[in-house]
Amino acid sequence: MFLNLLFLTSALLTVGCSVAVLAVKNLMHACVFLLGALIGIAGLYATLGADFVAVTQIMVYVGGVVILMLFAVMLTGGKDHVSKTQKLKSLIPAMGNKTSYLIGCLTALVFFLTQGYLVSKLLGSIEVQKQVDTFSPTVQELGELLITNHVLPFELSSVLLLGALVGAAIIARPRKARPQYEEEAEEHH
Amino acid sequence: MTNTIAEFFYQFEGFKSLVEGMNPVTVSVLIIIAAGALVTVFMATVGGFGTIAERKISADLQARIGPNRVGPYGAFQLIADGIKMISKEDIFPRDADKFLFYLAPFICVFGVVSTFAVFPFGSGIALSQMNIGVFYLLAISSLVGVGIFLGGYASNSKWSMLGGMRGASQIISYEIPVTLSIMSIIVLAGGLSFESVLASQSGLPHNWYIFHNPFTFIGFFVFFVGGLAETNRAPFDLPEAESELVSGYHTEYTGIRFGLFALAEYMEIFILCGVAATLFLGGYNLPLGVLKGTVPEQFLQFGTILIKTLALYYVVIWVRWTFPRLRVDQLMTICWKYLTPMAIFNLVGCAVWMVAFDGKSMFDLFFGH
Amino acid sequence: MATESINIFIPVFVMMAIAVALFGGALLAAHLISPKNPTTLKEMPYECGEEPVGTAWSLFNIRFYVVGLIFIIFDVESVLMFPVATIFKKFNELGQGTYVLIIFLSFITVLLEGIAYCWKKGDLDWVKSFKAGDRK
Repeated sequence: MFLNLLFLTSALLTVGCSVAVLAVKNLMHACVFLLGALIGIAGLYATLGADFVAVTQIMVYVGGVVILMLFAVMLTGGKDHVSKTQKLKSLIPAMGNKTSYLIGCLTALVFFLTQGYLVSKLLGSIEVQKQVDTFSPTVQELGELLITNHVLPFELSSVLLLGALVGAAIIARPRKARPQYEEEAEEHH
Repeated sequence: MTNTIAEFFYQFEGFKSLVEGMNPVTVSVLIIIAAGALVTVFMATVGGFGTIAERKISADLQARIGPNRVGPYGAFQLIADGIKMISKEDIFPRDADKFLFYLAPFICVFGVVSTFAVFPFGSGIALSQMNIGVFYLLAISSLVGVGIFLGGYASNSKWSMLGGMRGASQIISYEIPVTLSIMSIIVLAGGLSFESVLASQSGLPHNWYIFHNPFTFIGFFVFFVGGLAETNRAPFDLPEAESELVSGYHTEYTGIRFGLFALAEYMEIFILCGVAATLFLGGYNLPLGVLKGTVPEQFLQFGTILIKTLALYYVVIWVRWTFPRLRVDQLMTICWKYLTPMAIFNLVGCAVWMVAFDGKSMFDLFFGH
Repeated sequence: MATESINIFIPVFVMMAIAVALFGGALLAAHLISPKNPTTLKEMPYECGEEPVGTAWSLFNIRFYVVGLIFIIFDVESVLMFPVATIFKKFNELGQGTYVLIIFLSFITVLLEGIAYCWKKGDLDWVKSFKAGDRK
């Protein structure tokens, strides 16, 4: 009962906000809808009994990535962050043509139906637990696995993050003087 | 069922006979809804009283009288403020982003109210005993940063924009030392829920985590300073610095929306103080096992956590009216060059202490058997 | 290990619903009650009496973005460290504390290297100092 309610709310939030991300033209609004979609995904994780992953989703995406995205949108500057036209029509031949949109929709529909058919076939053959009313707390298991079976990935992930940190720092660092200025400076010498 | 607020009611015989024929899940959901509404109203009242306490205490510290017109000692000022805020005109800035302008204060309040779900008000009076309660509280409260940034952005005023940007970057920066300080307690407690942290402390100060070892003693202050910055309290109130940014991110906000920002801030301070009291100061534990396992014990526990929290709340207000505000560069220097290395040092220290002394506290080492 | 019921999420869900209902209701009530008579002056962004020039949305400093980037890395590291911190006590009681400590410390050492690098290169400084000729 509650499981269904949680799933329905989360799924509707995710799908609704994802559609809104695509539909709105204001980038800031798209970021905020993305926030809603990410919270919805956290709810979906909770439905599956993955409590730690659900909260991690909120911690990393809502607390970090969305704020970073908002900052990034601010960095693009401009008057009002609204994309008027994307100039795709002139770049891609079939773009903006009603027939091509129709064909795209049909392809998506066929793809979706095929996938649905395959998944239903698979579900028929595999024993799937329908209702996950109980789950075992995942944090302890995760911790034990991280320091027993998966020590190397755990340590390597820290090196990966170190690389990301150094990379982020280098990219965001203010540039040195531009080449033409350097030439001028050399001329002065 | 692990919903303790429901179990709290089930220990009364009269309640059992009242709900005899009903589905226990339905009953507990009803209890949770009622208790959740009660907690929210209670916290909103505490937040409202926070504004009066702020004015009264600041007046006291500056040898003034403070608000004294509405009710005895100005105690009903909160109701007057509430009515005023609801009936004030909604001013909507000319070039603002209307959608985000409406949404931003709501995101702030939503982030704070969601944290109440795991906050332990007493051994039977917590709404949920999630096994990752501490982590959940940390995660969901980061929504406040998004709300403040959006509030600053949506107003399309230069003061607001500066305040919003400062607020967001300040909140995310200080989350690092706060998280690491909490992690050092988790290392000692061996569990990510508030219950496991509380189970390994007791009512008397020598068993509190603040006096567990030297690292946690420093850790408490790192946590508290970081928490002050996360809730935008002075001396870290740069997002709303009234002497340089008019009113910061809520310059353009009027009426109830301004009220929601203020309410979110004061409720977040209460939660911060409550978490500090729970993690470091023994939480709701009563000393010497008084009245163990009885109903009055649970009410006494609620009183205990409330007293500890309000004492810290007083300190927060006291700090505000004592220290001058920092500059932005000083703020960032304190976070990244002092608090974060200190928090990492504390974490390492706690982990080493755990292995070296088998997790015993200082008191046990000196006086223990 | 003990299993938990999915119903443990009920309070969280209920609190979120209450937040939406109660404070959304307050916003709606205020919207219905509050007077509305906007004038041009009232709707002008407050700039201490000056006529505002331009929009505020082009004010953004890259420094905030750098802070955000560094924060995300630390956030992910802390998320990875929390499960290990949780089982630290349990493994210590089993007599394997040193093993976990070594793993934990080596993870933190790499984290410290990151901070040390950023500190050394001046990425943690809010006011960046430039050598003469660096910025024209």
